[in-house]
Amino acid sequence: MSNANVRPAVLIVDDEEMVVTSVRALLNLETDYDVHGFTDPEQAVTFLETHPVDVAVADYVMPKLNGIQFLAKSKLLQPEATRVLLTGYADKQSAIQAINELSLFQYLEKPWDNAALLLVLQNAIERAQLIRQLRDKIAELDAAHSDLKGVQTRLLRAFM
Amino acid sequence: MPVHAEQTDYRDELLRLRSELEASTRVLVESYRMASLGRLVTGIAHEISTPVGSILCNNGVVLRSLELLRKLLSECSADSAPQLARAREIVETLHNLAAVDKLACERIAAVVPGLKTFARAEETELRKADLNQILRNTLALAQAQFRSRVSVETSLGALPEVECYPQSLHQVFLNLLTNAGQAIEGQGRVTLRTRLEGDHVRVSIRDTGSGIKPEHRSKIFSPGFTTKPIGLGAGLGLSIARQIVVDRHGGSIDFETECGVGTTFHVRIPVARLSNAPG
Repeated sequence: MSNANVRPAVLIVDDEEMVVTSVRALLNLETDYDVHGFTDPEQAVTFLETHPVDVAVADYVMPKLNGIQFLAKSKLLQPEATRVLLTGYADKQSAIQAINELSLFQYLEKPWDNAALLLVLQNAIERAQLIRQLRDKIAELDAAHSDLKGVQTRLLRAFM
Repeated sequence: MPVHAEQTDYRDELLRLRSELEASTRVLVESYRMASLGRLVTGIAHEISTPVGSILCNNGVVLRSLELLRKLLSECSADSAPQLARAREIVETLHNLAAVDKLACERIAAVVPGLKTFARAEETELRKADLNQILRNTLALAQAQFRSRVSVETSLGALPEVECYPQSLHQVFLNLLTNAGQAIEGQGRVTLRTRLEGDHVRVSIRDTGSGIKPEHRSKIFSPGFTTKPIGLGAGLGLSIARQIVVDRHGGSIDFETECGVGTTFHVRIPVARLSNAPG
């Protein structure tokens, strides 16, 4: 259940190839994350259907699906994955909308600071992993609880 | 004669109305220009923030990679000494270039927040803002005009957040800084100072320019008044600045000037807006 042996997975989608390349290079140098880069948000959605990730980072202005629409889909597919919006389009309204509707973890403006981006991703991954561990523990507890109830029922029957 | 006197009155009235109409038309044209400029600036800000983000990021990766290379080279054995020395030299050169690139990118990146602030549509909500930060963003934009001709000194005091319309103040400060730069013939200095004074903040912008001539001093806040050649300015900056500072913010704007020495503009903005208080 622990993710100690599995490298954290980061999904980045931006219609500008150069952004995907830069972020991938940064993460390859400074981290051991598995980086999955896309310039087509629809392809990124298809990827999310079959590959669990810890954090999804999206640009806002993109063709086909904008960042908020994409992250909304990612929330349906993988609710435990953390969602980050990285955008050059500074609009307070869309930021508030994103944070509320998508439970957006962080809203970063371009141009970004590498150290800040790395910190945000680290926190985002930690959050996703904690949530998964919590979910697993609750499942374990539920299983143990029903086991206990089963034992309790058999014991009572033995005395009746 | 009465009839002749009446005609003179009408004529005077007509002349007065015509000059008012001309002033209003100039304000309208200026607003239209500003709106177009706003749209252009938004486009520019968005367009450059992506490639600059990419370059900045790459630059960070290059600098870190070179650090790692340097370390690896220092750990190599002395067997191929001349090649190693050459390799180290190359790494040093690349590292220096990348360090310069970093500064260059940061300068470009610093302009983006100023552009974004400038471009937003007419604001209707009062917000709490840090005037020092607004001034820094404005300065980043204004410095493009100053370059090496005009040096800038800042003395920014500790300030509380101020209830204001940030873009409008950004416009006011940009106008004052631009004027300061233009007042200086050749080399000179602009000094920016902010201080909390009781219940308001004082922003002072001083230039070592030619000063404002005595005969102009009472007119500089009038719409349409300008000493710049035709085409360089509509003479509306200061009248709009006064509207923004006095009418919209309940503050004050005034100046001290001495010909041949320079001019200082003082803008006072109350920290908290008293609701419904007149300007």
